[in-house]
Amino acid sequence: MSMDFSIPAELTELRGAFADFLEREVRPLEQEYTREYWGPSLDPEAATPLISQVRRRSADAGFYAPYLPEAAGGHGLSVLGTTLLVEDAAASGMRLAMVAVAPPNPAGPSTLLLKLPAHLWSTYVLPVATGHQTMCFALSEPEAGSDAQSIRTQAVLDGDEWVINGTKHYITNGADANFAIVFAVTDAQKRAAGGITAFVVPREQYRVGQIQYNMSDSHPAELFFDNARVPADHVIGEVGMGFLEAMSFLNAGRAYIGAQALGLAEFCLTSAAEHTRSRTAFGKPLAKFQGVSFPLARSKVDIEAMRWLVYHLAWRVDTHQDALAIMGDASITKYATTEWAYEVADRALQAYGGMGLMREGPIERVLRHLRMLRVVEGASEVQLLVIARTLGL
Amino acid sequence: MKIAVCVKQVPDTWAEKKLRDDDSTLDREAADGVMNELDEYAVEEALRLAEANGGEVVVVTMGPERAAETVRKALSMGADAGVHLVDDSLHGSDALATSYALAEVLAARNFDLVIFGSESTDARMSVVPAMVAERLGLPQVTFAQKVDVDGSKVAIQRQTEYGYDDVEAELPAVVSVVEKINEPRYPSFKGIMAAKKKPVETLTVADAGLDAAKLGATAAWTKVASFAARPPKAAGTVVTDEGDGGAKIATYLTEQKFV
Ligand SMILES: Cc1cc2nc3c(=O)[nH]c(=O)nc-3n(C[C@H](O)[C@H](O)[C@H](O)COP(=O)(O)OP(=O)(O)OC[C@H]3O[C@@H](n4cnc5c(N)ncnc54)[C@H](O)[C@@H]3O)c2cc1C
Ligand SMILES: Cc1cc2nc3c(=O)[nH]c(=O)nc-3n(C[C@H](O)[C@H](O)[C@H](O)COP(=O)(O)OP(=O)(O)OC[C@H]3O[C@@H](n4cnc5c(N)ncnc54)[C@H](O)[C@@H]3O)c2cc1C
Repeated sequence: MSMDFSIPAELTELRGAFADFLEREVRPLEQEYTREYWGPSLDPEAATPLISQVRRRSADAGFYAPYLPEAAGGHGLSVLGTTLLVEDAAASGMRLAMVAVAPPNPAGPSTLLLKLPAHLWSTYVLPVATGHQTMCFALSEPEAGSDAQSIRTQAVLDGDEWVINGTKHYITNGADANFAIVFAVTDAQKRAAGGITAFVVPREQYRVGQIQYNMSDSHPAELFFDNARVPADHVIGEVGMGFLEAMSFLNAGRAYIGAQALGLAEFCLTSAAEHTRSRTAFGKPLAKFQGVSFPLARSKVDIEAMRWLVYHLAWRVDTHQDALAIMGDASITKYATTEWAYEVADRALQAYGGMGLMREGPIERVLRHLRMLRVVEGASEVQLLVIARTLGL
Repeated sequence: MKIAVCVKQVPDTWAEKKLRDDDSTLDREAADGVMNELDEYAVEEALRLAEANGGEVVVVTMGPERAAETVRKALSMGADAGVHLVDDSLHGSDALATSYALAEVLAARNFDLVIFGSESTDARMSVVPAMVAERLGLPQVTFAQKVDVDGSKVAIQRQTEYGYDDVEAELPAVVSVVEKINEPRYPSFKGIMAAKKKPVETLTVADAGLDAAKLGATAAWTKVASFAARPPKAAGTVVTDEGDGGAKIATYLTEQKFV
């Protein structure tokens, strides 16, 4: 039998419907957003109501969190299908489109929530699946980033409640989320191997500290847990298994980050190619200078390589290959796509000249976002660490 | 209630459209085909009526092989079955021939209600619904911005320049809709998967019992004698401001009869 690289017809059809949705419903909001956001005040919160609107519209139209099973308010879409939608959303170049599918933005429903007992789904799963609520994923701490298993936040069982104490920082959507998935140490000896537990903690149990403004357009926050209390059933999966539960969803997550990086790179390349065809210097279109066209041709090479890493990873997850066995590929994909997409964006910026640096130009925002992707969700070096391990190093 | 929706595949709205050099008909291969936008509203209205009143929605199209994609899109949105009339001899059919073919296909299937878009984006004649109604001998209530079915009656709000008219007809009837009527749904993943199992009847001219002499380019009552590409935009007029720019622009606008 020969290898099959074709995209299933039903996914192509779904992409067509999603493209219509983006053009008809998100494009007009994006124009409004661009006017508001790039106004004299550059208000980082200006987009919040529009982002919520896109989430809900997308959920109504059937594109939000499609990877969840139907019982959880999703559509049982494959990882490959979700990957393609994430790619298309990013490739549209619209900031607001990036929330339309949910991942890799942690504000959308994490598949980890499916490990909650069924009676909690109506409280924590369905409201986020329908875009009416959002969540945040609270792992990182001031003293534990890459080395996540050295987190200090602790949870202690008190009767039939867990009591959580500690500080989280850099938590995306921390200020707006209705609840948090929080990782805390429940057995200091075992740590990653059975001593870290994931809890779902409602907003009223923790305090939001500083908003942590940064170069990207997404501003995380500090969260303080001072004797936060949750019932014993608010544990995700099993006590002590938080890390292992999270690992089992990590591979799909990396496919989604890869898809976003891929889509953004495609957007940069398409925009830059268009620009260099129409902008003239020294009497001819920029595109006619090889010094301009070759970097763009290089970018095309990177993009096609990224595409097949991403689709291949999605396929491995969809065909239920052993999660641990895929982790190397997942790290390769996260590393390659975010690093290469950043270079693609950088070359595109250069091709735009001064306009590339402008806030109202198409590339600047994307470049800042891609710079962030090289640090978050496992920095590039951490991916190399995992890859080195697969080599027995 | 048995509802038919007539949908047409047209070149993508944003694509540059061109005519074929050999027979001056629209080059349908040159651009992606999409469902005529107003026909999405027609499908949506049919689905809503069937959801509210019970019944079946059958989507009907006449068009080349790839028009099957448009049938499938309607099925993915939720229609129950499709009829696709496809035959080389249909190529170049004018509005009269199209309405003849559609009317015959519809007549053979006994629908309570036939819903159309009010206009296609490629030929934009806006005549097919009326022609089909006439051929079927059915009342036509067209340009609907609202449709209600009550027992044996259909009542619509017919969009007009000044507002709307209330119009009623006995079923069976022919309705055409305008875009104000609803917001078409997007095919969902579930809908797309379900559509794969829905029946689509593919008919040739012979299967449908049509008279081939009434169809195609040779039977058309009109012919495109010749055509030319749209001339490129002429260079604009530059008004140099020497302190009198405002007055110059006003004079220009008056000369051009804009003001
Ligand atoms: C905008 C933004 C959003 C975020 N959102 C979230 C969120 O929603 N939830 C969440 O839990 N966290 C979030 N984070 C935190 C993010 O995951 C961490 O910043 C990231 O894991 C890196 O950790 P650190 O900042 O502590 O850097 P450190 O771990 O201190 O690393 C500093 C540098 O050292 C390198 N390094 C570390 N260890 C090694 C090693 N062994 N070998 C080689 N190099 C090494 C790193 O790669 C990095 O380059 C977010 C961060 C940002 C900036
Ligand atoms: C550029 C151009 C110019 C043309 N000029 C003429 C002309 O001058 N005279 C002439 O007779 N013909 C002409 N034609 C042919 C005409 O387009 C076809 O006969 C067409 O099928 C009917 O006209 P319409 O698309 O304008 O339909 P409209 O009357 O605008 O369409 C209204 C509705 O009818 C339904 N419908 C239309 N076509 C189909 C179909 N094939 N299958 C199912 N439902 C359908 C849809 O619901 C649609 O929303 C022209 C075609 C083109 C592309």
